[in-house]
Amino acid sequence: MVTGFSIALIVFSLLMVLLVLLHKGKGGGLSDLFGGGMSSSLGGSSVVEKNLDRMTIIVGVCWFVTIVVLGLLLKNTY
Amino acid sequence: MLTAFARAFRTPDLRKKLLFTLAIIVLFRIGSHIPVPGVSFEMVRSCVEDSNRNSLFGLVNMFSGGALLQLTIFALGIMPYITASIILQLLTVVIPRLEALKKEGQSGTAKITQYTRYLTIALSILQSTALIATARSGALFSSARSATCDPQGIVPDDSLFRVIVMVAVMTAGTSTIMWLGELITDRGIGNGMSILMFVSVAAGFPAALWTIKEQGTIGGGWVPFFTVIAIGLVMVGLVVFVEQAQRRIPVQYAKRMIGRRAYGGTSTYIPLKVNQAGIIPVIFASSLLYIPALIAQFSGGKSDWAVWIERHFVKGDHPLYMITYFLLIVFFAFFYVAITFNPEEVADNMKKYGGFIPGIRAGRPTAEYLNYILTRITWPGSLYLGMIALVPSIALVLFNANQNFPFGGTSILIIVGVGLETVKQIESQLQQRNYEGFLR
Repeated sequence: MVTGFSIALIVFSLLMVLLVLLHKGKGGGLSDLFGGGMSSSLGGSSVVEKNLDRMTIIVGVCWFVTIVVLGLLLKNTY
Repeated sequence: MLTAFARAFRTPDLRKKLLFTLAIIVLFRIGSHIPVPGVSFEMVRSCVEDSNRNSLFGLVNMFSGGALLQLTIFALGIMPYITASIILQLLTVVIPRLEALKKEGQSGTAKITQYTRYLTIALSILQSTALIATARSGALFSSARSATCDPQGIVPDDSLFRVIVMVAVMTAGTSTIMWLGELITDRGIGNGMSILMFVSVAAGFPAALWTIKEQGTIGGGWVPFFTVIAIGLVMVGLVVFVEQAQRRIPVQYAKRMIGRRAYGGTSTYIPLKVNQAGIIPVIFASSLLYIPALIAQFSGGKSDWAVWIERHFVKGDHPLYMITYFLLIVFFAFFYVAITFNPEEVADNMKKYGGFIPGIRAGRPTAEYLNYILTRITWPGSLYLGMIALVPSIALVLFNANQNFPFGGTSILIIVGVGLETVKQIESQLQQRNYEGFLR
């Protein structure tokens, strides 16, 4: 049980990292971080971005739930 | 002021953005409280209470809003992202390819952002491994000594598989934070990363203030409590004053006739801020000073040099530490201004568009003049940064407070910097509808 959830968690974590990296980075840069210009990107996101967002949210929720379940399972073990 | 708030919430698209930002912040805070599976939460809790005075991880812990020491899924916070941005910013000076990308404009910047994100993931794998190794060896809470806290018991099962799970979770946590920050930048208000940093720093305030009250002796701790709050408010005012201070160098643009219409002929100014570098020098200096302490800790702290470092560089109240810190900040302030503001480029651009500073010839004399002004204005700026950053160390001596002194220089600089920036952005959104905003 614990091993199964652990493996699932590793898979979800990897997926999460991958999906986030697939996004196009918004803003960023150091000067932007600590008060640079006010550059707000205009224009909505494309269909690809929208689907990517949806997938990221789903995987994120799964990731979160797995963490909580695994945490509770392990708590009973120790 | 209050009506401006009401108006901000009455504007539909602004309200949507504000609520979105708030929702993301709530998510971020929830994640900062969920322990990584495989960590004994009770043990961590009793250890954290003990090691309030642990100053080694002070700054890093502050940036994660206290999540680091609790080993939560967002334990690393935005520190990997900050580190990655700093590294890439420095590399643009060194590597010609990156410099070319930077000059390319928007598409080049997007590429650099993408590199920053990859580097963030790599760094977070590294840092989470290091963090778990430290926690496993018991060095994370080495200063904690009590009956309930057993540093070895934080990670009860340290088999390789379990450690891999933990590293994976923390890395995914960091990438999630990155995504949340980008979501705020994209659909919320302000710059996401700096807002998350603001939240982390601000989250530590109440607890730290309460610690001062608990540890204080005069008047049941209320006297130091209110003194600290008063000092903090004065400092915020001071920091706002200096952050807003700028020298305006007038620029006159020549009038040109193109066809039958006249262009230009306007006079504007180049704003040179007193503190052009922001808080970056402070972050650089603290990260550098944190390295010797880290090395000493890993070596076990037995040999002569480790003891020397332990005595002079780990706690912030030694004069040698303060002087080094101060000098490093002054140096980095100049260094960072030199990286970000290039007088020759500005002078060239001005020449190209027919602009000149009254009384100064275009081209090289302008660049020299700008350079002269910039160097002169950075002196008070860097000294101010150094002084502000030393406030917690001085408080450490005077009040016997701990390193995470709530109104420490770095945290105030972050709070004020991010706050001003965000308010300005809300204001510009407000002004699309009506003119009176927050700042007059």
